[in-house]
Amino acid sequence: MKIMVCLKQVPHQDARLDIDSAGTWIQESNIKFEINTYDTYALEEALRAKDEGECEVVVVSIGPDRTTQALRTALGMGADRAVHIKDEEADGSDALGLAKLLAAVAKEESPDTIFTGFMSDDDNFAAVPPMLAELVGLPHTTAAVKVVRGDSSLTVDRETEGGSYEVVELPLPCLVSVQTGINQVRYASLKGIMAAKKKPLDVKSVADLGLSGSVGAGAAKVKIEKIAPPPKGDTAELLEGSTDEVVAGLVTKIKELGLL
Amino acid sequence: MGSILVVAEIQNGAIREASYELASVAQSLAGTSGREVKSLVMGSGIGALAEEFSKKGGGSVLVADDAALENYNVDAANAAVRAAVEAASADLILLSNTPSGWDVAPRLAAGLDAGFVGDCFRIDFDGGQFNFRRRVFNGKLDAHVSAIEGTIVATVQPGATPPFEGTTDGSTSDLSVGFEGVRAKFVETKKSDSTGVDLSKADIIVSGGRGVGAPEKFAEVIQPLADALGGAMGASRPVVDAGWLPHHYQVGSSGQVVQPKLYIAAGISGAIQHLVGMKSSNYIIAINKDPDAPIFEVANLGVVADLFDVVPALTEAVNGAKG
Ligand SMILES: Cc1cc2nc3c(=O)[nH]c(=O)nc-3n(C[C@H](O)[C@H](O)[C@H](O)COP(=O)(O)OP(=O)(O)OC[C@H]3O[C@@H](n4cnc5c(N)ncnc54)[C@H](O)[C@@H]3O)c2cc1C
Repeated sequence: MKIMVCLKQVPHQDARLDIDSAGTWIQESNIKFEINTYDTYALEEALRAKDEGECEVVVVSIGPDRTTQALRTALGMGADRAVHIKDEEADGSDALGLAKLLAAVAKEESPDTIFTGFMSDDDNFAAVPPMLAELVGLPHTTAAVKVVRGDSSLTVDRETEGGSYEVVELPLPCLVSVQTGINQVRYASLKGIMAAKKKPLDVKSVADLGLSGSVGAGAAKVKIEKIAPPPKGDTAELLEGSTDEVVAGLVTKIKELGLL
Repeated sequence: MGSILVVAEIQNGAIREASYELASVAQSLAGTSGREVKSLVMGSGIGALAEEFSKKGGGSVLVADDAALENYNVDAANAAVRAAVEAASADLILLSNTPSGWDVAPRLAAGLDAGFVGDCFRIDFDGGQFNFRRRVFNGKLDAHVSAIEGTIVATVQPGATPPFEGTTDGSTSDLSVGFEGVRAKFVETKKSDSTGVDLSKADIIVSGGRGVGAPEKFAEVIQPLADALGGAMGASRPVVDAGWLPHHYQVGSSGQVVQPKLYIAAGISGAIQHLVGMKSSNYIIAINKDPDAPIFEVANLGVVADLFDVVPALTEAVNGAKG
């Protein structure tokens, strides 16, 4: 059995978000990056299948040089192989462009299951997984919080709203996008990190995947024109001063509300 | 020129509020972009609902009425939307950013080789193109996105637009859909077993977020304030995901929706999925060290500070005030 996991490396959740000079994204120099939270759960779900039996886990990511770090971390956690799509021609791709690149890899790999995160912490699109499923021709579901593996299908609880779940059965091969909290994600052990150094990490270009001209900024159908802090609406009245002063203000307010 | 297609959703036997919000977006874009509004209503035995939607902003409604659409199924829904896009010659297709929208909309865009913009809170037509606004970085920044050319599929954030009010001329017509390609199988829907705290009954909720940093800090810092105020403790999702607290503490779109007299959010940034769970609280106090945290947009009173300074001091002061 083979499982493919798609990972994205995103700015660290606590990174400073300064807008770049073009005004279309954040400044990415001098900030820390990490594997997208949702994707760590997807990887863990694959590694659990591997722990249970014969299974190869292949991690795939699109990104510049720094992305190697994310892939090495994934290999350190237990993935077997990595594919790094690294090419300036892919820069400025929209979600569909990214899905095309991943689909080309998926077609080469023919995995039994593809796990992805539900969305990415940076652009919050949640678009690539269903797009990838469509391009590869696989059935899919999103926001999985439980996956039960059968011989020829997966039974998935997908989270809907307000504490409700939908149970769906998908024939293999299929794609599942995973919600956070589905499992508890492991850390890479020191031994794992050492072993990762010897694991294969293939680098592919857009041309290698036969997609020259069909991905990247030139092929994008949607484009970010501008990025800006949300306009300040009716923001909260702010209490300022020393901790004592602030606390006194809070107590006064809670009393005013008749709750103290 | 194409049309605008609204994909309506049925929930608990009625058209969802979010679908009337889509109708209102579509009707205003119809005016500015010179397009006609068409809609899809799908389900089983839903003729009357389709009729109703056509009179309330849905325009020319295509009705996909089939037993295969009785329970939500991603493939069946996708087949119906594909058929509707073709029948309507739509070049802007609007869905809600709801669990079915998550599944169907991007898949549809890839199938149509169309552009996709997810979770928009505003859509305009100017300069001859559709322009979209959406939040990125979990609500911390806004992105202005434009559609360069061709067909566009967009999802709209529920609650971001007032629903369509009033009546319109409308019509309904049957849409035939082939369901040969359906592979996903609906098994059942279930509710999470709601053992534990029912936060909806609490007058005061003190919630901690990822900023609380460690599981033991909930017992040491957050719970004591909740106790001092005679309230309950809540949490944001990452706290529950990390296993720091059980799911029944979670406030938000995938947790509990609460409306206490006082909601105190400490170390919570204010992502939309958290806000929908608590923004109707009577009074909101936010404590966060980041002055730009979106939580301050919904809070009545804010403190920009380290929660580990403010919360224990507040607990002490509240205990003192009670004498
Ligand atoms: C489909 C879906 C459903 C979801 N459902 C929910 C839901 O039901 N509920 C929910 O909460 N989320 C939900 N989420 C997740 C949501 O998008 C956010 O990721 C989440 O709400 C963020 O939680 P947070 O604010 O605690 O963490 P973060 O966004 O990481 O914010 C932590 C905050 O703590 C502050 N902070 C850090 N240290 C301190 C300190 N010492 N003192 C003061 N402040 C500090 C930081 O400035 C930051 O603002 C859902 C997401 C999706 C996609």
